[in-house]
Amino acid sequence: MDLNNVLDFPILSLSIFLPTLGALIIWLFVRGDNAVRWASLIVAVATFLVTLPLALNFDTTTAHMQFEEFHHWIPAFNINYHLGLDGISMPFIVLTSFLTVVCIISAWQCIQTRVKEYMIAFLILETTLIGVFSALDAILFYFFWEALLIPMYLIIGIWGGKNRVYATIKFFLYTLAGSVLMLIAVLAMYFEAGHTFSMLDFMDYPFDFTWQFWIWIAFFIAFAVKVPMWPVHTWLPDAHTEAPTAGSVILAGILLKLGAYGFLRFSLPMLPDASQYFVPLMIGLSLVAIVYISLVAMMQTDMKRLIAYSSIAHMGFVTLGTFMFTQAALEGAIIGMISHGFVAAALFLCVGVMYDRLHTREIGDYGGVVNVMPVFAAVMLFFCMANVALPGASAFVGEIMVLIGTFEAAPTHLGISAKWIAIAATTSVVLSACYTLWMYKRVIMGDLVKDSVKSMQDMTIREFGYFVPLIILTLWLGFYPLPVLDFLHVSVSHLIDQVSTSKLDAAAALLQAVPAAEAAHH
Amino acid sequence: MANVTFPFPFPDHLITLLPEMIVAVLAMILLLVDLFISKENKVWTAYLAIMAIAAAAVATVQLYPAGSIEAFYGFFVFDPFAAFSKLLIFAATAISIVLSIDYMKDENHVGEYYVLMLFAMLGMMLMVSATNFIILYLGMELMALCIYVLVGYQREVLRSNEAALKYFILGALSSGMLLYGITFLYGVSGSFDYTEMGTALMSADSSSHAAVLLGLVFLLAGLAFKVSMAPFHMWTPDAYEGAPTPITAFMSVAPKVAGFVVIIRIAIDALPAVQDEYMTILIGMAVLTMAVGNLAAIAQRNIKRMLAYSTVGHVGFVMLGVIAGNADGYAGILVYLSIYLIMTLGLFAIIILMRRDGIQGELLDDFAGLSKTRPGYALAMGLFLFSLGGIPFLAGFWAKYAVFIAAVEAGHLYLVLYALLFSAVGAFYYIRVVKYIYFDEARVAFNFSDSRLMQATVAITAIAIVALGVYPDPLMEVCKQALVGLI
Repeated sequence: MDLNNVLDFPILSLSIFLPTLGALIIWLFVRGDNAVRWASLIVAVATFLVTLPLALNFDTTTAHMQFEEFHHWIPAFNINYHLGLDGISMPFIVLTSFLTVVCIISAWQCIQTRVKEYMIAFLILETTLIGVFSALDAILFYFFWEALLIPMYLIIGIWGGKNRVYATIKFFLYTLAGSVLMLIAVLAMYFEAGHTFSMLDFMDYPFDFTWQFWIWIAFFIAFAVKVPMWPVHTWLPDAHTEAPTAGSVILAGILLKLGAYGFLRFSLPMLPDASQYFVPLMIGLSLVAIVYISLVAMMQTDMKRLIAYSSIAHMGFVTLGTFMFTQAALEGAIIGMISHGFVAAALFLCVGVMYDRLHTREIGDYGGVVNVMPVFAAVMLFFCMANVALPGASAFVGEIMVLIGTFEAAPTHLGISAKWIAIAATTSVVLSACYTLWMYKRVIMGDLVKDSVKSMQDMTIREFGYFVPLIILTLWLGFYPLPVLDFLHVSVSHLIDQVSTSKLDAAAALLQAVPAAEAAHH
Repeated sequence: MANVTFPFPFPDHLITLLPEMIVAVLAMILLLVDLFISKENKVWTAYLAIMAIAAAAVATVQLYPAGSIEAFYGFFVFDPFAAFSKLLIFAATAISIVLSIDYMKDENHVGEYYVLMLFAMLGMMLMVSATNFIILYLGMELMALCIYVLVGYQREVLRSNEAALKYFILGALSSGMLLYGITFLYGVSGSFDYTEMGTALMSADSSSHAAVLLGLVFLLAGLAFKVSMAPFHMWTPDAYEGAPTPITAFMSVAPKVAGFVVIIRIAIDALPAVQDEYMTILIGMAVLTMAVGNLAAIAQRNIKRMLAYSTVGHVGFVMLGVIAGNADGYAGILVYLSIYLIMTLGLFAIIILMRRDGIQGELLDDFAGLSKTRPGYALAMGLFLFSLGGIPFLAGFWAKYAVFIAAVEAGHLYLVLYALLFSAVGAFYYIRVVKYIYFDEARVAFNFSDSRLMQATVAITAIAIVALGVYPDPLMEVCKQALVGLI
């Protein structure tokens, strides 16, 4: 088989296993909390540097998989260690390795107990995340997809807040129950598509409609829980709220994207007819997420909970864009995910900065923070505005592209024009401004009345340090998104081809060909 | 078969029994030798027992057959399937003996304990090689009688006595049912031999159908008892809780291996004529077993009881391999049982290590804060628990995968869906133990025994679980090869 790998070097394997290798070395040889912190930082930075060539050497003219690697893993079941990237998965890998560095720096002070275990869990989590984004074999994908539950379960459960046990068990069971349905769908496809787990084969194989229908539902449940979509979103506010700051960052920054990535990688290209069929459902649920969850966010008194609900609302935008099947909407959805990776991550870090000082996340416990922490207030204002999708910030690019794409989408069999959907989705612009800026007002502005707030110190250099790259990236993606869009163009238009080409004719032809071939055989 | 030369003439069909003979003879010699070992040195009886098992294992590996070899006019078969499952039983018994050494130091340490384990193992060896219901019954009773005694081994402990009595009464009842079922099948077919019975039942006329069904039901009930399938699992939690912990470990692994091998052999050779009927019964029992095992385990506070129900749950998953009824399914059962053996015995090793002054180390609360005091054991235990829950990069995932894919292949999509949902339920009570270990604060000081042998057992099983989780191919290949000559 021809492997498309310009570097002639297993760079994806290196990116996947470098963090684990580093974790192993730290576990065995590194002693002392500070040494562990530095060693983890070195490993994370090294991994980030290893993933950079993926972007630099990326061929933007092809939708084929790149940097491919292929080894037999379990020949008895034709399970292969097959890795590869296209324009859709590549940005997420770089995002993952970047956010891991940020997470490790942000944990420098606030994690004081069991530092070593924490860093090891984080590095293993990075392995599983990069693995999910680069797997091209469905079992390998599932392998990493499920494996990430273990470090995440421990991160929330050990270093989380008061109610962490409830939150982490809920998170674990929700996602596990969702993903077992994905496993059964994959097993069923294995036999249907002729004893292969290759995701590329699944994309080419003509499944008939009944198959697509049921498999789509199984995938939908698995991915909807991860996104999360209303009404299976309830694990997220708990998990986000109770997780340590860096856990929330990686949850919002990467984990939430896994569900949407699953739709892009499995549902759309493999099951195009079912995807078309279920558009009304997806639009309905996305709009509920955008409107209803935004209203819920407004009523939160806990800052992390508020940002968690805001994440769900933003992911509603992403799923809406995903199921519009227009170039602009799909690219907007992906840009939206990347941007949310910066903005939501930064907002959680902001809450983390305040939490480290007062050990409370309640909005009511703050007020007038700007008087004691002016620099911090400015940074937080920037990210609040970015969350509202002010022009110039990355979120604006994502939202406007989704809205444009929705506007120009063909009328669906909802019976209403796509314009109305776009108009309904636009309410999010108003609602997100309401909840974000209202929170900002209550926390940062106002007079300094509370004694506890008076004692707060402004950010340290280290804290400021991890906001700087996030600010630069948010602005860069907001003003000049072209380089990222270049990565996406070809892959996304290929995906749109896949989802607009019905597999039903080929499936019918196959159905007729099989008896004919058997007759000829006899 | 490998070429083994003996200094004296050795009848051909006897050589297939060499492992059994080694165990039988050495066990009896050990019984005598034990008289000359003083109370303080009983450890040596254990070491000698392990050596006896090692000798049998070497013989089995040396003789590892390429195909099926029959002996004693078809009473006994030595094929890769039997050889592989014997090796599993050896491993289970040997590790259980290792686990016993430390445990028994605080008990009435007598040598018969180890000898009884050897005889129980001998019974299982006969079971997996039997191709005749009489031999099967002999092997099964040999195993059962030894285990009844071992369960009630702590004579002064009330719950041990209670467990043994319950196990004995229900076990005797189930043996009776098994025999009763066999007599019906014998009455119709006129043979105790699996294959002959299978052929005779194929050609039996429809007037005898009722008798065959009656026989089938009783036979399955008897077998279901041995492997703790619901609704014949009632004895399991009590016996597991009351038995000395090493015996609980032994019981939860070895007899299950033997039991499933017997079920597979009977299903293939003796009962193809009533395949539809026994499949219906097995599916019904599997549905019940998965539900009962996984749901009841949630309510348990004692880890031995929890693991008893967890065993029931796992038995439900293993049954999917039988229900699949194809080569992948049978190979999947062997994969499942091998991996289950490693993770269960590793877990029990830690539980035994937890026993300390005045604390049994059996309540889930006793594990609180383990990760702070003994991070190594905590890590290993976490790995075993996640593996039992079937989470990838650990071997337990591939165990489930192996049987589930076979069942999907056979078209039992809904059953697999059901099983997957219950495996998610099962994950709950496993990760709840992880919660005690990692999230809770220690309530009492830990004072572990530092037996090197036990530590090595924990380390080796934990490493094996990770290694097989990342690269399960060799095991899957061996299990596939073990079916040569069976179907």
